[in-house]
Amino acid sequence: MSPAAAFDEFAFDERAEDGSPVPQTVSLRVIARDPAVTLGGRILTATVRVPAERLEPGPRGSRFHIVDYDAARDVLQPPVELQPEFYDRFADADDSTLVSDPAFRAQNVYAIAARTLASFEAALGRRLRWAFRGHQLYLVPHAFAEANAHYDPEDGAILFGYLPRAGGSEITTSLSHDVIAHETTHAILDGLRPRLAEPGLPDQLAFHEALADIVALLSVFSMREVVEDLLGSADRDGRIARRNLRREALERSALFTLAEQLGESTAGDRAHGLRRSIKLRPSAAWRTNRVYDEPHRRGEVLVAAVTQTLLSMWIERLKPLMSGRGADRARVAEEGAKAAAHLLHMMIRGIDYLPPVELEFEDVIDSVLKADEVIAPDDEYGYRVALRDAFGSFGIHRPREDQLIDLTKTPPPSYARMNFTNLRSDPDEVFRFIWDNAEVFDIRRAYRLRVESVRPSVRVGPDGLIVGEVVADYIQTLELTAGELAERGVELPRDLNGDTQLQIWGGGVLIFDQFGRAKYHQRKRLNDWKRQGRRLDYLVRYGLRDSRGRYGFTVSAPRGQRFASLHDDDAHAGEEW
Amino acid sequence: MRAPADLERVSVRAYQVGFGDCLLVSFLYKRALPDGRTERHVMFDFGSTRWPTHGRTRYRDIARSIAKRTGGQLDVLVITHRHKDHLDGFADDKAASTLEGLKPELVLRSWTEVPDGATEHSAARGERSRRFAASLTSAQDFALAVSRSIPAGERRRAIRQLSALAADQLPNEQAIHRIDEIAKAARLPARYLHAGQPSGIEPLIPGIRVRVLGPPTLEQWPQVASQRKDDPEYWVNLRRLLSQSPASSATADAASGATSELPVTPDPGPVRWLVERMREQQAHSLLRIIRTLDDALNNTSLILLIEAGDRRLLFPGDAQIENWSYSLTSPRHAAARRAELRDVDLYKVGHHGSRNATPRSLLELWEERPRDVVSLLSTLPGVHGRTEATAVPRAALVDALTRVGPVYRTDTLLSDRQFLEVSASAYGVDTFAPND
Repeated sequence: MSPAAAFDEFAFDERAEDGSPVPQTVSLRVIARDPAVTLGGRILTATVRVPAERLEPGPRGSRFHIVDYDAARDVLQPPVELQPEFYDRFADADDSTLVSDPAFRAQNVYAIAARTLASFEAALGRRLRWAFRGHQLYLVPHAFAEANAHYDPEDGAILFGYLPRAGGSEITTSLSHDVIAHETTHAILDGLRPRLAEPGLPDQLAFHEALADIVALLSVFSMREVVEDLLGSADRDGRIARRNLRREALERSALFTLAEQLGESTAGDRAHGLRRSIKLRPSAAWRTNRVYDEPHRRGEVLVAAVTQTLLSMWIERLKPLMSGRGADRARVAEEGAKAAAHLLHMMIRGIDYLPPVELEFEDVIDSVLKADEVIAPDDEYGYRVALRDAFGSFGIHRPREDQLIDLTKTPPPSYARMNFTNLRSDPDEVFRFIWDNAEVFDIRRAYRLRVESVRPSVRVGPDGLIVGEVVADYIQTLELTAGELAERGVELPRDLNGDTQLQIWGGGVLIFDQFGRAKYHQRKRLNDWKRQGRRLDYLVRYGLRDSRGRYGFTVSAPRGQRFASLHDDDAHAGEEW
Repeated sequence: MRAPADLERVSVRAYQVGFGDCLLVSFLYKRALPDGRTERHVMFDFGSTRWPTHGRTRYRDIARSIAKRTGGQLDVLVITHRHKDHLDGFADDKAASTLEGLKPELVLRSWTEVPDGATEHSAARGERSRRFAASLTSAQDFALAVSRSIPAGERRRAIRQLSALAADQLPNEQAIHRIDEIAKAARLPARYLHAGQPSGIEPLIPGIRVRVLGPPTLEQWPQVASQRKDDPEYWVNLRRLLSQSPASSATADAASGATSELPVTPDPGPVRWLVERMREQQAHSLLRIIRTLDDALNNTSLILLIEAGDRRLLFPGDAQIENWSYSLTSPRHAAARRAELRDVDLYKVGHHGSRNATPRSLLELWEERPRDVVSLLSTLPGVHGRTEATAVPRAALVDALTRVGPVYRTDTLLSDRQFLEVSASAYGVDTFAPND
């Protein structure tokens, strides 16, 4: 495509002036997996659509700002201009350009990060905030000399490393699709659930890692080009044989191969739960294996359950396509990509129903299923059954005790003194509402409570109708000594001094319907002493105390480094102190 | 051959070297041995990177104390690995001369320390092991380049931390040269050991048996090193990168027709804001890289398990989990090694009590024991680790060790004490306890 032709196609600002509709998305070429993965001797690329927006040189849009500064060499690349004469200048670029041109790595990180954010915003039905004070997340595609990358919440940045290799080539993490999607997810989740990075139950940090891997996996798998490549060659009629479309065969050809390829170039430097999790066999044995106390390894269990769900969904979607001779390769790939995209949205939608603190894997399955029940009550294709079965095969079941309460089936709260307009947006008004109705919600007024956010959400159900909700998160905290906790029935870990200072947490989410009426309450009670005992035992066992020897308080980390060690190679899992 | 029962008592001293190790293990016999002596002595390491602020003990005082305790004859000198905090004392000429005068009969080091050209020692190792040993030298050159790139008087905490850690990785040529000389002068040829080899100690010290548990070679246990970082080229490339100036990069780009890079101080605005913060991030990145070198060198530590009568004493140097995992998890050896390790009476705490030098699975072996496992911890808090999670010693580990037996620490010694010493009977039921 010539630059001029591309200009005609993508110069959306100008198009608006001639009266035609303003395009909402633009297409950009990205590396589909990793530069090490080739097809016919060429790097496998894909064209993805990302939200159109005004882009300044950088590129610098409303949500991302790419700054190509290399701190190892102290050099700054010129900003890349994708607008005002926007065109995908790399649409036909050869491989050497893709791996060596700083402008392409800028485009690659921008497009994949923007696509990831767009997936979250589409699933949650609103614009999402970052955890830091600001609207634009810095993406630094060539930041330091390590085959690793990390999200830096204090500076509002994702830093992608690189590693020079013999012969002048290098490993460039900003060209690895899964690394970009993974790190962007950390940044997004930190905005949605900032408390998950606090010292808590082992599932909590594991979920951060798992969701980042799940989004990376499903995001790569939702590109038809990728799935087609993974399926291998078709017969001369373009079909894949029936035997190659069985569950085990698809698992082997598509998922195992993908797992090996994702992160191929950074293996040994960066922990890759994805690689192991896809091969993890269903079992609840992880619960008693200390190795799975390490967040990466624990997260693998969740990723494995989601992967098994994807397989089930894909196979279900293939049934109508199947003939005696198999099925058309392109259609098989398309159904795989669609299943991945659907599952990705299901998983993301569940986040709004997750408790903001004290997260456990049981809450994840509970929240994802409930969020899906709301938007697609019929479960026509059995997706929820597939998800429940897959999680169940790893010993993760919906909680027996009803933590997610359907408020339409309990005595109604009082709205007598409430302002419905404010209840949809104002944390103070939501606090008033909770305060007045604490008994209805089984919330103790004795513990300090803070409403952290109130967020509207608009989603489209399968019937095409709008589902409008408001999601309000609150947390509760209590500071006390270990001895005082023991008085409440908690068995203290061996040798924990009764004077040790502790901070314990509880919290929940209230979901309001379009009329401002509370309809669901997902909660983790602060006074669930059994859970508090489990948490304290974990914190003490792994020495997760602050510099004053207190447990449950924020554990300090140098500026920008809170997430930096998350991706270290996890060979020590279960053995460190 | 004398009856093993002639061995009567075992005593271990940990000298006050601040952040470092210097230990003297003495074996006491009921009757005089053929040379007329009634004791035998093994010295482990002699170095420090930070001395305590109180007290005036220095290398030469310690050397004199060892000379006095051994009666002028040291039997075996063990240098667990090449880190400064384990051998820096040999760079002190007077101290080294004193120890040289003790004429150790045997010097033991790790297989990674075979001097250049000593092919008779390296022939048993494979290509990957040889490459790994070469990579350590390249890596230390990189640490030197990092160390030199830091301006004197730097006050930022991350950079000071980097400076200190890089300094710990420097080659220590003077000390190593002196150890080489002592080894050459020894009656028996120097040994460069890997896991499973005979230590050569037994003929010198009757009544004991020594197992070499680590370090494995890369052929024995590839997991002991990271595949990428055991390549010398990795460190050479990093060093090259560090030495690249913006000016030279811009020139190279101009020559290749690439777009020039921008000045490193951009105009005021969001880009400059980020660039200034990322310069601080660079120190953290280098810290992470240097830590991998630190771990790699620690993993070259000799791990010796000494059986002296009914007592078992474990000296792991600074071995990290990758080195330990050979003994604890390798399908061929784990069952036998774990059975032996379960009976340890005295444990020299690995790596000054850091978070990844005492595997949890090792400690678990001791949790159900009826008898105490006594720990000797040579350390100095506040040297490494800014946060609770990275502090050395790691409080959670010390707590766990305390649950299996007493922990004796050099950092709690009074300022007038030069060492702490524990001893136990070689036979029967006994627990190591302080001598005074």
